[in-house]
Amino acid sequence: MGDIYPSLTQCAIVAAALKILLFPAYKSTDFEVHRNWLAITHSLPLWEWYYDKTSEWTLDYPPFFAYFEWMMSQVAKLVDPAMLKVYNLEYASWQTVYFQRFTVIITELLLVYALQIFVDSSPRSGGGGGSVVSKRAAQAAAISILLSPGLLIIDHIHFQYNGCMYGLLILSLVLGRDKSTLLWSGLAFAALLCMKHIYLYLAPAYFVFLLRAYCLSPRSIFRIQWLNCVKLGFGLTSVFGIAFGPFALRGQISQIFSRLFPFSRGLCHAYWAPNVWAMYSFVDRVLILIAPRLGLPLKEGALTSTTRGLVGDTAFAVLPDVSPRVCFVLTLLFQAIPLARLFMQPTWENFVAGVTLCGFASFLFGWHVHEKAILLVIIPFSLIALRDRRFLGAFRPLAVAGHVSLFPLLFTPAEFPIKTVYTVFWLILFLMVFDRLAPAASRARLFLFDRFSTLYITVSIPLIVYCSLVHGILFGNKYEFLPLMFTSSYSAIGVVGSWVGFMVVYFTS
Amino acid sequence: MAGPSPSPHKPRRKAKRAVNAASNLANITALSDVNPVETLVRAPSFPLSALLWPARGFVTEWEVLPLILMGVGLFRWAAGLWGYSGFQKPPMFGDYEAQRHWMEITTQLPISQWYFHDLQWWGLDYPPLTAYHSWLCGKIGSLINPSWFALFSSRGLHDANLKVFMRATVLVSEYLIYIPAVVVFTRRFSRLNGVSTWSSAVALVAILMQPATILIDHVHFQYNTVMLGLVVASMSSLLAGRNLWACVFFVAALGFKQMALYYSFSIFSYLLAICVFPRINISRFVAIAATTAISFALLILPIVVGTLHDVKRGIDARPDLDGPRPPLPLFPQLANYLDTEAFYYPVVEQLVQIVHRIFPFARGLFEDKVANFWCALNVIVKVKKYPAPLLQRASLLATLASILPPNLVLFLRPRKHLLPLAFAATAWGFFLFSYQVHEKSVLLPLMPMTLMLAGNHGLSKQIRAWVGFANILGCWTMFPLLKRVDLAMPYTVLTLLWAYLLGLPPTSISVYAPEETKALSQWVTIFLHAPFYLAMALWHVLELNVVPPADKPDLWTVANVGIGAVGFGLCYIWCLGKLVVDSEIIPKSWFSKKTKLKSQ
Repeated sequence: MGDIYPSLTQCAIVAAALKILLFPAYKSTDFEVHRNWLAITHSLPLWEWYYDKTSEWTLDYPPFFAYFEWMMSQVAKLVDPAMLKVYNLEYASWQTVYFQRFTVIITELLLVYALQIFVDSSPRSGGGGGSVVSKRAAQAAAISILLSPGLLIIDHIHFQYNGCMYGLLILSLVLGRDKSTLLWSGLAFAALLCMKHIYLYLAPAYFVFLLRAYCLSPRSIFRIQWLNCVKLGFGLTSVFGIAFGPFALRGQISQIFSRLFPFSRGLCHAYWAPNVWAMYSFVDRVLILIAPRLGLPLKEGALTSTTRGLVGDTAFAVLPDVSPRVCFVLTLLFQAIPLARLFMQPTWENFVAGVTLCGFASFLFGWHVHEKAILLVIIPFSLIALRDRRFLGAFRPLAVAGHVSLFPLLFTPAEFPIKTVYTVFWLILFLMVFDRLAPAASRARLFLFDRFSTLYITVSIPLIVYCSLVHGILFGNKYEFLPLMFTSSYSAIGVVGSWVGFMVVYFTS
Repeated sequence: MAGPSPSPHKPRRKAKRAVNAASNLANITALSDVNPVETLVRAPSFPLSALLWPARGFVTEWEVLPLILMGVGLFRWAAGLWGYSGFQKPPMFGDYEAQRHWMEITTQLPISQWYFHDLQWWGLDYPPLTAYHSWLCGKIGSLINPSWFALFSSRGLHDANLKVFMRATVLVSEYLIYIPAVVVFTRRFSRLNGVSTWSSAVALVAILMQPATILIDHVHFQYNTVMLGLVVASMSSLLAGRNLWACVFFVAALGFKQMALYYSFSIFSYLLAICVFPRINISRFVAIAATTAISFALLILPIVVGTLHDVKRGIDARPDLDGPRPPLPLFPQLANYLDTEAFYYPVVEQLVQIVHRIFPFARGLFEDKVANFWCALNVIVKVKKYPAPLLQRASLLATLASILPPNLVLFLRPRKHLLPLAFAATAWGFFLFSYQVHEKSVLLPLMPMTLMLAGNHGLSKQIRAWVGFANILGCWTMFPLLKRVDLAMPYTVLTLLWAYLLGLPPTSISVYAPEETKALSQWVTIFLHAPFYLAMALWHVLELNVVPPADKPDLWTVANVGIGAVGFGLCYIWCLGKLVVDSEIIPKSWFSKKTKLKSQ
C-alpha cells in the first residue's frame, strides 16, 4: 500500500491559502501586543526589555519568546521600520499586518514538521486492543490538529503564535516516544517553558515521566541512572541559563517574575473559561434568584460583580469564596492522581494521557484560566484520541465544547460565518473520519457516556443559534452576559464530562 | 484524513483472483481494499484528488457534499474580507456602489422611475430581473439599517456592516442559484458520461473553486453567478430533457444580465435542432416558442403593471423634466405611429428606455482594455479612427463568422454531451469579436469550459491542461482590473491555489508529462501553452519592477491584452476543434489523419 492521502503538506498549502485570505480579518489587541514586543526587542537594549512601560502591553512572556520576537524584528526592519518604534502605538500599516500575519503562518511550519514526525513515528498498523495508534489514524489526527479551528481562530484571526509553540510541544512529546531521544524531549519542553510559561501546567507530567523513564532504571525505581540525571540536569541548566542568564547577571529575575505571574487577577477571566469555576459561578447566579425563598443569606457586596465584563475579583453572593490556595491544591490533587499511574507504567501512551490530564486539571481548577488554554488539553488529547472508540467517546464532547467556547473571542459580524462554518466543517469532517478510523475497544464501552455525548453535541446547535441570532433579536444589546454565560456553562459541562470520561478510560485501559 | 480502513469482514474474492492470475496481474490483490471502481487509479494525480482521496469509499455524494459546500463557502467569505471595487475611491466609486445604488433606487422610487432616475450616477442599466433582485436585497437590508439605502444620502456609503450585508447578498444569491445549479449539472453530466461519483465530486470542487468567479463576484463585487447559475440551470434542464424549463431559466438569465446573450445562439441551435431531428416536431417547437414568450412577458409584467399604476396615480417617470415629452431614445420614428397621449404610451416609452439602457449602442467598439480581438488589433492598427457604423458592421460579421461553425455543428448533432463545448466556443466567439466587451465578460466562456471537468475524461491531463490554461489566462487578464483596487493579494492566492489543486503551472507541470498513447497531442499542447505561461510570469515580474516609459503608461496593460487575446483565440480554436471531433460530424477515419494535431 502506498502513501496515505492527503499528505500533511497538501493540507498545509490549502490551509495557508485560507489563512492568507484572512489577513484583513479582525485582529485583537494581541496584534498590537506583539507589534510592541517587536519594537521593544528591536530598539531597546536587553536589560530594558522587562522594564519598558511605554505601551500598556508590556513584555510578559519568558525570554525565549523575547528572543523570538527579536529575530523576527531583524526581518521586520526590512519590511517597514516604522513598526519597530516603541512609541508608535497602535501602528498597523498594511506592511505591518502582512508581515505579522505572515510570521504566524511561517512559524507554524514547526507544527507541520512536528506532526509529520509524529505520523512517521507511528506504526503501520495499530497494536492489538487499541494500545497504539496506527499510521492512518495518526495521519488523520495530525491533520485535525493542523486544521484545528482553535488555532485558526486564535492565531490567524485573533492573533497569537500558538501554532509554533504547540509545534514545539508536539515535537517534544514525539521525542519522548523513543528511549534514545528522551533527553531531547525534556530539553525541548524546557525551551517551550522559556517561551510561554502557560506550559507549566503540563510540567508535572514531564517531571514524572522523565524521572521514571529516564532517571530511574526501568527495572526498579530504587536504582538511579546517575549519568542520565547529570545529562538532564546539565541540559536543563543550560536551557534555563541561556534564557534567564543574561537577565540574572543584572539581577532582573524578580522583575521578570513579577511580569510573568501577575497574582492580582481574579478567579475567573472577564469571560468565564468553561471550567469548574464557571459552573460554580453559574450555580451562584441561579442561587441569587432563589436564595430568598430558601432563606439563604446574600452577600450584598457581591451582587454588582462578575458577569458584567470587568476583570477583577470574583465575589460570590451565596456560595463561599474561592481562594487561590484552594485552586492550587485542587489542581495539584487532580494532577497527582493520573500521574501516580504514569509513574507506575511509564509508557508513551500513558505519558501523553498524563500530559492531557494535567492540562485538564489545571484548566478546570486553575486560577484565572483563559479560554484559549483549552488547546492545552485538546492538542495532546488528539494524539491519542484514536486509540480506540472509548478514547474517542471521551474526546468528542471536548472537541465540541472546547471550540464552541472560543467563539466569544470573535464578535464582529464579518468573522461570524468564518468561525462558525469553519468549526462546524471541522467537527463534521473529523468526527466522521475519526469514527471510521477508531478501532473497537477491547473493553465494553460506557453506554451512558455515549448517549451523553450524542445528546450534548446535539444541544450545541440551538445554543449557537440562540447566542448568535435569537438573543440579539429578542433583547438587542441588553443582557449581553446571558449568551456568554450560556456558552461557557454549556462548554464547561462538555469539558468536565470529557474529563470524567477520560479519567475512567485512562484508569480502566 | 486517511481513507476508510479495510473492512475485516470482506469476503475473499477467489474467483477474481483466478482471473487476475490468468492475466498475469497477480499484484492487483494489493489493491483489494480499495473501491473496485477506482482500482485503476492507484495514487492521486493532482492535489485536489489527493484531498478528496479518502472520500472514495463513500457510498453517496451526500456525505461529502455538505463539506464541499462549506469549504468553498469559507474561501468565498474569506476572500470577501478584502476590499471591493471603488472602495474609498470618490467621486464615482465602483461596481459595489452601482449595485448598492440600485438597491437604493428600487426601494425608494416608484417602479416607473427606476430606469430614468439620475442616469449620471450609476443609472440602472441591467435588465428587470436585476432590478427586482436589487429591490429584494434592498428591502431586506433596510430592515437591518434603513440608512444604508436612503435616497441620495446613502451614495458612496462605506459602512463596515453594509459591506458585510452586501457580501452576504452575493453569497446567498450564489448559494440559492449558481451552486445548486452546478451541483445538479455536475451530477447529470457525469452520469451522462459515465463518470464515477467520486470523480464528479472532484470536478465539482474544481468548478466551484474557479478563481475568476470568486474574484469578480466575491472580491471585486458583482452578481454574475446569478446569471451564470441560471444558464447552468438551463443547460442542466436540457440534459434532463426538460426543454421548457431550459427556456424559462434562460429567459431568467437574460433578464438578469444581458450578457447571457453570448449563449443564446447555442441554446437556440440546440432547441431548434431537437425540433427538427430526427423528425420535424411542430408541437415541441410551438411549446418552446410559447414558453419563451410567456417567460419574457412575465419578466416585464411588474414593470408594465407598475408603470400603468404609476400613471394612474399621477406619478411621472421623469419628475425632473418640464415641458413637452422628449422623443424616444431609440427608434424615434416609432412615435409617428403611436399616439403619445394613449394609455399605453408610457409603457412603450418605459420598454424602449429599458432597451436603450441595456444596449448602449452609442458607445465605442470597446471601452477599456480588454483582451479581445479588437483591442488587440488596436495595438497594431488604430481601429478607432474608422467610422463607428463600419466598425459595428465588421464586428457583427466577425462575431457571426466565429459563432456560426460551433452552432452549425450543434444544430446538426444536437447531443447533450456537446453542450458545454458548444456553449464555450460560442461564448469565446462573442467575447473575442463582439461589440462593447468588458474584461469581466471572460467569465462567460470560462463557465461552460470549466464545466467540462465533469465530463468524459474531464479530469484527464489534456482537458485539465486546456481548462486550466483558459482559467489562469482569464484571471491574468483581469489582473489590471483587480490591481487598480489593490486586490493583487487575493488574486495571487486564489489563482495559485486553483492551479495547485489541479496540478497546473506555475505550481506543477504534471499535466504536461508525456503519456504513452497521446504523446503527439501532449507535445502540441506544451508547445502552445508554454510560451503563454512564460509570458505571464515574465509580465508579472516586469509589471512589478519596471515602470513603463512616460509616453506609454499603459504598456503593461496593452501587453496583457495582446497576449490574452491570442491565448483566448487558441481556446476558441481548441473548443471548436474538440467540438468537431467529439460530435463525430466528420468521419473518424478522415479526421484521425488530419486533425490529430488539434486534439487527441
